[in-house]
Amino acid sequence: MSARITTIIGRNGAGKTTLLRILSTQLMPTSGKATIFGLDVVHQAKEIRKRIVSIPQEASTIGILTPMEQVSMYLVGRGFSTADARKATLDALEAVGLHEARNNPADTLSGGMKRKCFVAMALAANADVIFLDEPTTGLDPISRLEVWSAIKQLQGNIILTTHYMEEAEKLSEEVFLFESGSIIDRGTIKSLLKGFENKVRIESYRKMDNSFRVGTIYIRYVPQDEATRFIKEGDSVRKISLDDLFIMRGVDFES
Amino acid sequence: MKRGPSYIIASLTTPLSLLFVVYILTSGALVKYAIVGGMITLVASIGIQSAGDATFLRLQLRLQDLYVASRVSPTDYMLALTMSFLAFSIPGIIVYVSLGVLYNLYNLVDSLIMLSLIVLLIFSTAAISFIISSLIKHVRNVWGIVSVLSIIMTVIPPTFYPYTYIMSRNSGNIIIYLMSFSPATPAAILAQFAFGLQPVVYSTLYLMMSILLIETVIYFSIARYLTRWREI
Repeated sequence: MSARITTIIGRNGAGKTTLLRILSTQLMPTSGKATIFGLDVVHQAKEIRKRIVSIPQEASTIGILTPMEQVSMYLVGRGFSTADARKATLDALEAVGLHEARNNPADTLSGGMKRKCFVAMALAANADVIFLDEPTTGLDPISRLEVWSAIKQLQGNIILTTHYMEEAEKLSEEVFLFESGSIIDRGTIKSLLKGFENKVRIESYRKMDNSFRVGTIYIRYVPQDEATRFIKEGDSVRKISLDDLFIMRGVDFES
Repeated sequence: MKRGPSYIIASLTTPLSLLFVVYILTSGALVKYAIVGGMITLVASIGIQSAGDATFLRLQLRLQDLYVASRVSPTDYMLALTMSFLAFSIPGIIVYVSLGVLYNLYNLVDSLIMLSLIVLLIFSTAAISFIISSLIKHVRNVWGIVSVLSIIMTVIPPTFYPYTYIMSRNSGNIIIYLMSFSPATPAAILAQFAFGLQPVVYSTLYLMMSILLIETVIYFSIARYLTRWREI
C-alpha cells in the first residue's frame, strides 16, 4: 500500500513550517484548535507523538555517524529494540537506495543522500502520519528526483510542505494552497487546475490585451492553439502548473 | 571516539596542562591533588562544554525537533545525551586512573566513591549545559560562553589545590559556599576527603554531599523545565 500524500504549498513565509510544527506538537499554537486522529495537539501531545514522525526542514545528519547508525539510533529512541531497529534500518535504507552507502559517515554523502537518510528514518519508524517539511529545499534536480523516489516508498499519511510546484504535482493527491497563515484553496491537482484546461500561459515583457502584470512580466492565458502566434512574437509560452493558481490570485510566488 | 579524537584530546588539554603546572610550581608536593582534581575538572568541563553540543544539535542539526515528535521525553533526551558526554570522558578518566595508580592513590573504596562523584558530576554539569543551551538563540554564542564558564566552574574551585587554602582565609566559608554553585567544588572537596589528601571534617563532608546531591536535582529539574521541548 502506498502513502497518501497531502501537500501544503505556499511561498516563503506563508506559514507552512509553523503549521507543521504545531501539528507535530513542536510549537504551541497561540490560538485555535488542531487535532490529529481526533487528538488535541495541545492536551494530548504525548499520544500524538507516538504515532507521528516529523522531519524538520533544516534537519541535518550528524557528520561522523553513518546512515545505519543515524537511522538505528532514531528507531531505538522511538522504542524499537536494537535487533528490530537494525532490521528496520536495513530494510529502509535498501528501499530508499542507501544500502551501499549505509556504512559511510554522513560527511561523505551527497545532499540528496543525507535527505534520503531522513526519509529512511520516516519509513522505518512506520508511523501513521509523517510530516516532511520542505524535504528537497536546496537540492539539485537529480538529488530532488532521488528524494521524490524515496518519498514514494513511504506508507501512511504524509503531510508535505514545499514551495516547489513541481514537487506537489509529482507527489500529491491533494494540495492545500497556503498564504499568510490561511488555506486559500484546496483540492486535487486536477480540480485545482480545472479553469486552465487546454490553456497555456504567455509571458511577455510587452503589454498584451487581457494581460496582467506580475513584477515586470505581463501574463496572459490563451487556448493552446493560439500559442504559435505568441511564440512568433518572441513571447514565452509556459505549460499550466500550480504556479498559475498563485499567479491568478496575485501572489508573488518565489520559487 | 575513533572518528573524533580531537574532541578527547581537547578535553584532556586543560587538566593535564594544569597538572604539569602544579607539579612544577609545587615541586610535586600537590601533584596528588592535581591528579584527583584533574579527573574532576575533566568530567565537569566535558559536562559544561556539552552545552555547545546540545545547542548545535538543537539549533543546527534540529535533532531535538526530530525527537520531540516521538515518544522520547525531555528527560530521556537529556539522559541519553548526558550518557554520551560521559562516554567521551572515558579515555580521559583512564589516563587519570593510570596516574592515580602510579601515585598509589586508589583502593577499591576510593574508586567507588570517585565513580559516584563522577556520575553526579556529569549529571549536574550536563544539566547546567542544558540550561545554557535552552537559553541560547544562536549557536555561535554558545562557544564563548562555555569556554568562560568551563574555566570558572572547573579550575577556580579547589580542584587543583587543597580546599583548606580557601577555608583558612577570612570569609573562607562564604567563598567556598559561593564556589559551590559549581558542582566541581563539593565534588573536589569530597574527593580530597576520600583519597586521604585532607583529614575528614564530618560537618563539611555532610554539607558537601548534600550540596552536590541537591544541586544535581535542582539543576536537572531546571534543565528539564527549560528544555524547549515544545516552543512557545
